[in-house]
Amino acid sequence: MNHTQLMGAAFVVTWLSASLRLAGPVLLAALGETLGEQSGVLNVGIEGTILLGALASFLASYYTGMIWIGVFAAVLVGLAASILLAWFYVTARASQVVAGLVFNVLALGIASVVYRKALGHSSAPESIAMFGALHMPFVSDLPLIGPVLFGQTILFYLTLILVVVAQFVLFRTNFGLALRASGENPAAADSAGISVARMRYAGTLISGAGAGMAGAYLVLAQVGLFRESIVSGQGFIALGIVIFGRWNPLKAALAAFVFGACDALQLSLQIFGFKAPPQLLLALPYVVAILAVSGLFGGRTAQPAALLLPYVKD
Amino acid sequence: MAKLFERRLTPADSPLAIISRTTAAFLAAMLVTSLLFVSYGANPLQAYFALFHEPFATLRGFGYTLARTAPLALVALGTTVSWRSGFSYLGFEGCFVIGATSTAWLALSTAPGGRIGHFPFFLFLTVAILFGFASGGAWAGLVGLLRGRFGGNEVLISLMSNYVAIFILEYTVSGPLRAPGSLPETRLLPRTTWLPFILPGTRAHAGILIAIVAAGLVWTLLQKMPLGYELIVTGLNPSAGRYAGIDVPRRIILAAFFGGGLGALAGMVEVLGSQHRLMDGISGGMGFVGIIVALLARLNPLAVIPTALLYGGMSVGADAMQRRANIPSSITFILESLLVLLVLASDVLRYYQINPSALWRRIPQTVDGQVSE
Repeated sequence: MNHTQLMGAAFVVTWLSASLRLAGPVLLAALGETLGEQSGVLNVGIEGTILLGALASFLASYYTGMIWIGVFAAVLVGLAASILLAWFYVTARASQVVAGLVFNVLALGIASVVYRKALGHSSAPESIAMFGALHMPFVSDLPLIGPVLFGQTILFYLTLILVVVAQFVLFRTNFGLALRASGENPAAADSAGISVARMRYAGTLISGAGAGMAGAYLVLAQVGLFRESIVSGQGFIALGIVIFGRWNPLKAALAAFVFGACDALQLSLQIFGFKAPPQLLLALPYVVAILAVSGLFGGRTAQPAALLLPYVKD
Repeated sequence: MAKLFERRLTPADSPLAIISRTTAAFLAAMLVTSLLFVSYGANPLQAYFALFHEPFATLRGFGYTLARTAPLALVALGTTVSWRSGFSYLGFEGCFVIGATSTAWLALSTAPGGRIGHFPFFLFLTVAILFGFASGGAWAGLVGLLRGRFGGNEVLISLMSNYVAIFILEYTVSGPLRAPGSLPETRLLPRTTWLPFILPGTRAHAGILIAIVAAGLVWTLLQKMPLGYELIVTGLNPSAGRYAGIDVPRRIILAAFFGGGLGALAGMVEVLGSQHRLMDGISGGMGFVGIIVALLARLNPLAVIPTALLYGGMSVGADAMQRRANIPSSITFILESLLVLLVLASDVLRYYQINPSALWRRIPQTVDGQVSE
């Protein structure tokens, strides 16, 4: 192998492993959101929920020194936030877009106030311990695929397991059937004895849990500290991934890796010293997400028919 | 027997019911925020006094309030036009940035010795308004095109287009238009392009007049013109509109164009009136707060101006509060969003009435424990 080939191989390894790493949080959020949207609720509030989850995981592991407590706290906060959101979406039958959007502003205010209250005294941002990359015997040492596939953090593998779980629950269980019925034809679901409201609460709670955990992923496996701009639209990108993945967890995983690859390109090119306006590459994942939901590539038919429609029992 | 929440037979829509619901929501939001003030060791009454005194009862503060009101009102008017036409556009942060960027470029090009050459002020302002409106209109119109012709999801497209616009701004101020110096910003715009100040001794600028005129025009469009009627029909019931011969996709694209144009004017008045240069983070979330203003004004163009005044004032008051009492200004994000959320929540009272008596009057039971009617 000559020098150029070595550089090329090193670049591919850096790029692909960064792609998988960056895909993790959006994939987690997209998984929860897929189940939520299958129940008929478009939860725009996941952007704010991710932020609250990130803050909860940061503070919990900062004060306890235990990383897993951080993950646990983030999921709890995600669930709590989505109880509030579900009340607006399902019980108050408010416009889901409005309630979710305004909730994002509320979450930004809460996160900013709470973070300052907890750590306002320190001038520099405090960093915390993070999940390290796993090292598996034999497979991690394989060339190329070793560091890419088998050198990620444990949260990444947990996310992969959750993809399979979500796919199974959604398409192979009674609960998944009831969830999809509530999103596709709530009136029919209702006459079959399914409580549409309960299913939609469940869907929203699942999407909140996923979003909370995505926040923990950002803090505990990617950044190691908290700042108010930590989410910067990744919740919205997750919403795009749900559409791109045609409301199917396995396809959402593929879509998330595509976005991760776009996101990682900028980072990897920078490491290898390529000169290009960084903003051009930073905008790439958003542009790809826009194209994915633009309708230019079809996909309207896979959408749950009753998405965004509140259900009123006659 | 009376239950605590009882379903109404008809929704309560009398003016009294609406006013009391909204008042209750406002009081509840202020109560929650009071608790936050207390947690900072501040007396809530004094905190509210600080929040509203500076922006509304001092001349200097009122000037800042007017300067903040103008862009908020313009974004809210853009929201009103597009949302009432059934186009749930959320990309005003992006339109704001696009309008600010194109205006700054125009102003720098018309500076003495610039690319285009000097314009007299009124010609410059006319060109700037048209150019800003067209650039923001085209930016949002593209989203309208995707929605109207290809069935794209405008909520998500517009949310993500915000980030693209912000990267365009970052590129502009760190590359082509960057002034020498350490900060990513342009140099100061020539004084001849600034909006005139309208209150002596304050920072209030003519942007508020532009916003008021725009509110009148939007009201006229929606209430008095056939086109506005077609837009509203498109929003209320697209199938009925199609049946009546309205070209629905074309109306959606037009609604997007108007909304985006108004959003871009917000960026224009901010650049020409307040900042006088283009820099990173110039929108400061106004693209979203403006949407909240429109929602609170119930998408009524005339109610937008007073609501924007309230929100503009609160943001000025919050800055004063942070300076004086060291209470973080982000508390107003909480107050501002709680107001809307609680107004939304109070809509539940349209369908349910509360019987407080159910709390203390127990359900009478017969001797063997069965419930009697």
